[in-house]
Amino acid sequence: MAVVSIPGGGEVDQLYAETRALRLQGFLLFLVSDIVLFSSFIFAYLYLRNSGQGWPPPGVTRPAIALGAVNAAILFGSGATMHYALENFKHGKFMRYAAFMISTIILGVLFLSGQGFEYYTLYVHDHVSWSGSGIFGASFFTLTGMHGFHVFCGIWYLTILLLQSVHGVYDKNKYFGLTAGTLYWHFVDVIWVVLFSIFYLV
Amino acid sequence: MNGLEIEHIVAVVLGVIVVCVALFALRNDWKTPGLDNQVFKIMLGLLALGGVLAALTGAGFIGKS
Repeated sequence: MAVVSIPGGGEVDQLYAETRALRLQGFLLFLVSDIVLFSSFIFAYLYLRNSGQGWPPPGVTRPAIALGAVNAAILFGSGATMHYALENFKHGKFMRYAAFMISTIILGVLFLSGQGFEYYTLYVHDHVSWSGSGIFGASFFTLTGMHGFHVFCGIWYLTILLLQSVHGVYDKNKYFGLTAGTLYWHFVDVIWVVLFSIFYLV
Repeated sequence: MNGLEIEHIVAVVLGVIVVCVALFALRNDWKTPGLDNQVFKIMLGLLALGGVLAALTGAGFIGKS
């Protein structure tokens, strides 16, 4: 297969060079479709919230803000470690890359554990549930659950990327999979900035 | 020191670390070209915003409980 030079030095096969931009655009379109999905739920929640009398409804407890802030900071921290994982891979520092990647996965698992604990607290102690607490419970569990599912998928995604890179699927000139993984993880972080703001701050 | 105070302190510390790291990465990547890097810059900016929100929430300046 023909080999071509890429900006910044290095060589990749021609097929990769020709299709990288297209695959990037395709992945960004996937993220845009996910933004549309989250936006529709978020705007529905905001509409319902502003059309009711008081928020949260009487008798429904808000989620604990301190735990929410810690959980948010853990997830945002995982975004930072993911960014440095990619940067280290680009510069050929594999051990540092692996360390940052594992840190990202651990932080993701910690976030999900924190969310699980929050669900447990709300359900058992505060009696807030998906179906029994009106629009607040339905919105909260649907949106945070959908986000949690994305984090869960992201953890598997990053684990597979790590295993692939250990087996030499990527090199420092050819790492689109890692770029896509980083974009996905940042997307999951950024969605949480919005969800954290609407559920805990306003 | 009870559990709630520890949670507040952890949120502030982690939030400040996230803001510093995100802004440092943003500064380093500021001149890198390419569509993916432009998206990364937006994401890092929003990540820094998230860190600010987490830190301010931990410090008790914003948020409702």
